[in-house]
Amino acid sequence: MNAALKRLLVGCVATAFMAATAAAQQTPPQPGPPRPFQLPTPTTITLDNGVQATFLDFGVVPKVSIAIAVRSGALNEGGKTWLSDLTSELMQEGTAGRTAEQIAQAAALMGGQLGIGAGADETSLSLDVLSEYSADAVGLLAEILTQPKLPASELPRIKQNYLRNLSVALTQPQSIAGAAFAEALYPGHPYGKSFPTAAQLQSYTIDDIKNYYDSNFGARRTHVYVAGKFDHALVEKAIRDHLGQWREGPEPLKMPPAASVPRTVKLIDRPGAPQSTLRVGLRVIDPTQPDFMSLSVANTLLGGVLTSRITMNLREAKGWAYSPGSGLGTNYHQASWAESADVKAAATGPALTEIFKEIDLLRAQPPTEQELTSIKNYRNGIFVMSNSTRGGLLGQLAFMSLQELPADWLTTFVERLYAVTPEQITQATHQYLDPTKMSVVVVGDMKSVRKQIQAVQPLHGALPK
Amino acid sequence: MSRMKLVVAAMFALAGCATQQAAPPPTPTPAPAPPAKAPVAALNVPVDYYKLPNGLRVVLSEDHSVPVATVAVYYNIGFRLEPKDRTGFAHLFEHLMFQGSANLAKGQFFKIVQGLGGQLNGSTRFDFTNYYEAFPSNALQTMLWVEADRMRSLAITQENLVNQQGVVKEEVKVNVLNQPYGGFPWLQLPQYANENWYNAHNFYGDLQHIDAATLDEARAFFNTYYVPGNAVLVVAGDFDAAQTKGWITQNFATIPSRPVPPIPDISEPQQTKEKHASMTDALAPRPALAIGYHVPPRWTPEHFAFGLIDEILLQGDASRLHRDLVQKRGYTDDISGGINLLGNMFNYSGPMLWSASLVHDPSTTDAQIMAAFDENIERIRTEPVTQEELDRARRTIRSQLYDLVGSSTRLGLVDLLACFALFDDDPARINRIEAEFAKVTPELVQRTAREYLRPENRTVLTVEAGKQEGAAQ
Repeated sequence: MNAALKRLLVGCVATAFMAATAAAQQTPPQPGPPRPFQLPTPTTITLDNGVQATFLDFGVVPKVSIAIAVRSGALNEGGKTWLSDLTSELMQEGTAGRTAEQIAQAAALMGGQLGIGAGADETSLSLDVLSEYSADAVGLLAEILTQPKLPASELPRIKQNYLRNLSVALTQPQSIAGAAFAEALYPGHPYGKSFPTAAQLQSYTIDDIKNYYDSNFGARRTHVYVAGKFDHALVEKAIRDHLGQWREGPEPLKMPPAASVPRTVKLIDRPGAPQSTLRVGLRVIDPTQPDFMSLSVANTLLGGVLTSRITMNLREAKGWAYSPGSGLGTNYHQASWAESADVKAAATGPALTEIFKEIDLLRAQPPTEQELTSIKNYRNGIFVMSNSTRGGLLGQLAFMSLQELPADWLTTFVERLYAVTPEQITQATHQYLDPTKMSVVVVGDMKSVRKQIQAVQPLHGALPK
Repeated sequence: MSRMKLVVAAMFALAGCATQQAAPPPTPTPAPAPPAKAPVAALNVPVDYYKLPNGLRVVLSEDHSVPVATVAVYYNIGFRLEPKDRTGFAHLFEHLMFQGSANLAKGQFFKIVQGLGGQLNGSTRFDFTNYYEAFPSNALQTMLWVEADRMRSLAITQENLVNQQGVVKEEVKVNVLNQPYGGFPWLQLPQYANENWYNAHNFYGDLQHIDAATLDEARAFFNTYYVPGNAVLVVAGDFDAAQTKGWITQNFATIPSRPVPPIPDISEPQQTKEKHASMTDALAPRPALAIGYHVPPRWTPEHFAFGLIDEILLQGDASRLHRDLVQKRGYTDDISGGINLLGNMFNYSGPMLWSASLVHDPSTTDAQIMAAFDENIERIRTEPVTQEELDRARRTIRSQLYDLVGSSTRLGLVDLLACFALFDDDPARINRIEAEFAKVTPELVQRTAREYLRPENRTVLTVEAGKQEGAAQ
């Protein structure tokens, strides 16, 4: 951290304090000057076939995290929802050289456990092991990635597991609300499709999976991340040996969702539910846009932390909810904002009104310097914390790579964070968080809560019949 | 304020998940296992332990690798120790500790900590309630001040009590009452498996009990349990020891000493026959099953052996139960559990369960599941585990121990230091964990399995699915 920024931090912290202690008999001591925080510098290589690899020497404990991200996920399923998940599941069921059991045992012998999962844009493989096994871990991950057996014999069992998980997910109010909300924001696009039907899931064949794997997995979509304590030369050699000869495969698929959609209000009945599960939000600018930092800080101030306005209102003032919160969700060059809350059934309508009231207030009136500084300090603390672990650093690097952010995005983060002004917060909230454009999902006992929702002013005219 | 259940993930879970085959597996040509490498140095966490005249125990653990630090205060009052007829009181009180003091109005605690870049939380567990802040290290003096401030002068109003009663009731709804498998098995299983009220009551609290709590009761609870002699303060991370000790003296040593409350008798009578219980979950679409066994006393050779049994049987994709029930038989996609579902094998003091649970299809019967489960149990009771399995389990544990130190919030590290100080008066034993595991032999594993994995020592809880298929959205 540079000297100017250090001074800035000290100044900010002092301002935040005056408010905190105004009414107190005794006042807490002021913090000392921030200690320098040095981000480690990553290096990246690109193999001839297109595989990229990023290395980050970090930490003091003898461990290393390795993650491989492949640009293929829900986006690439061709309408067969969860096909990417089934594929990632089946990739763990053996390779040309090892059975599923041997894969699991090899990982355990290195002190780790294989993680593999499909997201909207990417499939990720990861392994966190004792440092002495760095190169072995690369070899194991590469083998699973490039030579999966995808055995037909295991598919019925895995499908049965997915059918069971689907039936459970469809009884969880948060999953139901999340799926309805995603569909409201991205209708007709894979980003909006959270669940297949049971019949659809049943219909997938081993050929569907093999076709999906063959047409989507390859070097040009693959990025390896290594962070922790490791022998750089050995690990680089392992990456070149195990992935350097892999087929190039296609470039990442670009399939952006339709530009804008009108808002939807969905009321989903859950008879007898003692709480209503709420999702309120809309699509917003993506992380490559200059205003994204302002919007992101606005989110923290509105609902992104315990001391945020909506959370303090619903929880600490009203006692209507336990852990309400807002967040920005991102996909490739896409983002959405949502407030999520499980509120006391009798307070469903009033809670929606309070959420909109807090948003409108911030749209109309800039926060004080003091409130904003406190939020920035919190974000700075989170930044330091999350970049002080192998996993956190890997996550940041993978995010930057997926979003194609500039190389200095991480190193300029704190500077850009502290440059946000109260006016920019209000401007961003005004421009991007308009309650009359927000989609709303309520999962609750409609017999008792529908009337309350009808009374919420910003929803007038938008309720389903 | 914490989710009682979900904080577990953030803690050091020696209880993990692993598997291996029960029946002889179809063994293809074995691929080469990673060769054993020269082991790296054993865990050596710096531990500076002392007591203040008022009885407060203090543990310091210095590490300057990143400019962050963690402060934690653990009080020796957990949910199983709470007074009878006030179920859920320990947890409700945890919420009240954030509601203001003589010096800070409601909300200021949150604002100060988060406004300095800190994360904070509290949680209630079997034998302790804890509070922590993880923050950029320049804020340490302030964090010590705010923790001492509430230990000295908590001030709760009727209005704030009512507010948090509301919040806690919504917490119980979101985690239990409006959730399929809510509270299964972590909240329900102990109620069936234990006999002593302290181990067998509803820890989250009946909603009527939560509503019935009064301000006077809260004050009495604070005066009884939140005394310096019943607590441990841990500071870990980037700090200057001499300066920090000065701040600790200044802030904490001036808190008056008060009597330390006795711990109630939480012992469990030895179980003599297998127990079965069944419940219907109106929100759940598929049946589920949990099995719980009483475990050996903590920090005994058998307890460490049981920790390795847990690794070998249950933790991770390579474990025996996973290999058999998930991989081979396809009864479920996940069988999980461990010693102490709300923590790990060290952060409690008293009787404890080891448990395993799974969700399955109606086409798989409870009898089928139990038969398969018992095959694995019988195998570990009758056949010695292989040296390779033992080594693998120990290596996983070593890997997890390093993560205690490598974490930026250090919550797992401060948790073990605090519990070893609070329950054992010996936080430095964190550095002896590996050595204790190293002493365990295949014979001890078998002897421990034979003694503790007896059917008479267990409770089987089945959940009937009360939700019709397809009735969901």
